[in-house]
Amino acid sequence: MAGILKPFGEVLPMKTKKQVNFSQAHKKYIKRLKQEKILVVFLQIFILALLLGLWELLAHFEVIDPFFFSSPSRVIKCIASLIAGGEIWMHMGISLAETVIGFIVATLLGAIIAILLWWSERARKVSQPYLVILNSLPKIALGPMIIFWVGSGFSATVVMCVLICIVITIISLLNAFTSCDQDKILLMQSMHASKFQILRKLILPNAIPEFVSVLKINVGMSWVGTVMGEYISSSAGLGYLINYGKSMLNLDLVMASIILLSILAGGMYFLVNLFEKRKQQ
Amino acid sequence: MENFLQFNSVSYFYQTKDNEIQAVKDLTFSVNENQFASIVGPSGCGKTTILSLTAGLLTPSTGEILIGNEKVGKHDGKVGYMFQRDHLFEWRTIWQNITLGLEIQKKNKDPKKLARAEELLKKYDLYNFRNKKPRQLSGGMRQRVALIRTLMLEPQLLLLDEPFSALDFQTRLLVCDDVYDIIKREQKTALLVSHDISEALSMSDRIIVLSSRPACTKQVVDLSFEGKTPLLKREDKEFGRYFETIWRSLTNENQKTS
Ligand SMILES: Nc1ncnc2c1ncn2[C@@H]1O[C@H](COP(=O)(O)OP(=O)(O)OP(=O)(O)O)[C@@H](O)[C@H]1O
Ligand SMILES: [Mg+2]
Repeated sequence: MAGILKPFGEVLPMKTKKQVNFSQAHKKYIKRLKQEKILVVFLQIFILALLLGLWELLAHFEVIDPFFFSSPSRVIKCIASLIAGGEIWMHMGISLAETVIGFIVATLLGAIIAILLWWSERARKVSQPYLVILNSLPKIALGPMIIFWVGSGFSATVVMCVLICIVITIISLLNAFTSCDQDKILLMQSMHASKFQILRKLILPNAIPEFVSVLKINVGMSWVGTVMGEYISSSAGLGYLINYGKSMLNLDLVMASIILLSILAGGMYFLVNLFEKRKQQ
Repeated sequence: MENFLQFNSVSYFYQTKDNEIQAVKDLTFSVNENQFASIVGPSGCGKTTILSLTAGLLTPSTGEILIGNEKVGKHDGKVGYMFQRDHLFEWRTIWQNITLGLEIQKKNKDPKKLARAEELLKKYDLYNFRNKKPRQLSGGMRQRVALIRTLMLEPQLLLLDEPFSALDFQTRLLVCDDVYDIIKREQKTALLVSHDISEALSMSDRIIVLSSRPACTKQVVDLSFEGKTPLLKREDKEFGRYFETIWRSLTNENQKTS
């Protein structure tokens, strides 16, 4: 009898220490996880290589016209010559600057406006139809006006970038602010918190996950804004290069610019991801 | 002190676009100091409204509410409020959660208060978890943290709005015991809202039975199971008799209205 009861006395070790001796099944499980991860990365690289190889071959044997479809080797050559020419850094720098400034301005300004609209219910009601219309309006339609108002080039592109990002920023953040649990607000009030304290200690921290997802959306959107702005009017930047390549019928240049663009956008997304990971800890 | 909390013919109307909803009608009852009182009533009868009125979050349309012979005002810090869910802030550690009220009232530098926070954590077995985030705690522990957070502001009166209903039955019995123990040890006056007659019986010294909306007092039952814990009270032979009294008082009105 005592023998049967004994195991109950030996309570499982507290989880405070890290477990060291794992069971066979656990080791197997971990191994399978690792194998799965390696396989996924392998497949990702494999697909990339396959596509590039196929593209190269088809272009090489002129199954597709390399003049219109370019080819990996031609793109690489083009990028190399761009780097050798040195001007590419200027184009990349300008696009990056436009995007980052547009991104930061839109996010900050959007957050401030969302806070003000949370603060005043009346302002929220008044602004609602404007937000709805602004949100559904294709911002590129405003392009010509923007050029008249702020001049073409750098500033027009930044404004385009801000316009594209800011509305969605306001709407998502405001939504996160107002959907905060009413009982939590009541709790703060029962502790005699002021409205500002409720904002700082409850509403804002509560909206951080939403804020991070807004950042992620804005990375993509701000690049859309930059490229669109540069298409409309500019004399520098990757969007300009794409447009220029198109008019010169130099599709190698177009492809090369697109590749550089995706590297920059990917890098920016990576930074936001890093920020999210650090926030989570 | 007799009649520490007093409702004197309190009525309350909610204003909505279409009509006025009377949630509380001519409500009169009282709770003595250090007493544990419970409110039971049909759902939607106005129980939460009564607690909000007591906390000063709503102002009575007519009548008055007194706590310690003083009229309830908006900002007098006499009342601590505990909700159905613990509402711990996930982005704060346990320590930061329980000192939230101190922070709001700018008392978080006061060494006496901080020492009290530590003492409460130690006393109720949460000290080792003070740097953990709420999601790392069990439901029962979270409810204890919520109670300590409320106690930190040293309220003279604790309001509990179905604080256990989000817990599973077994945890609920244990947490009930815990919370009861803490409230009695800290010598607080408490007003609990419950759907559950057994729960109200096991915790209270006095039960206020409400009619359906608009809430008014149907019956006040004073209980006497001398000095037992909620769990033990459930086994007391008086328990069943009290249960029946309250059950009858509740249902008898339901028949009238339906
Ligand atoms: N903000 C409000 N505006 C209008 N009517 C309200 C409001 N809050 C509550 N009521 C109404 O007042 C009545 C009483 O509500 P209350 O929340 O006090 O009831 P309750 O007894 O706590 O209900 P439950 O048992 O569901 O917790 C209900 O009929 C409810 O619909
Ligand atoms: Mg309620």
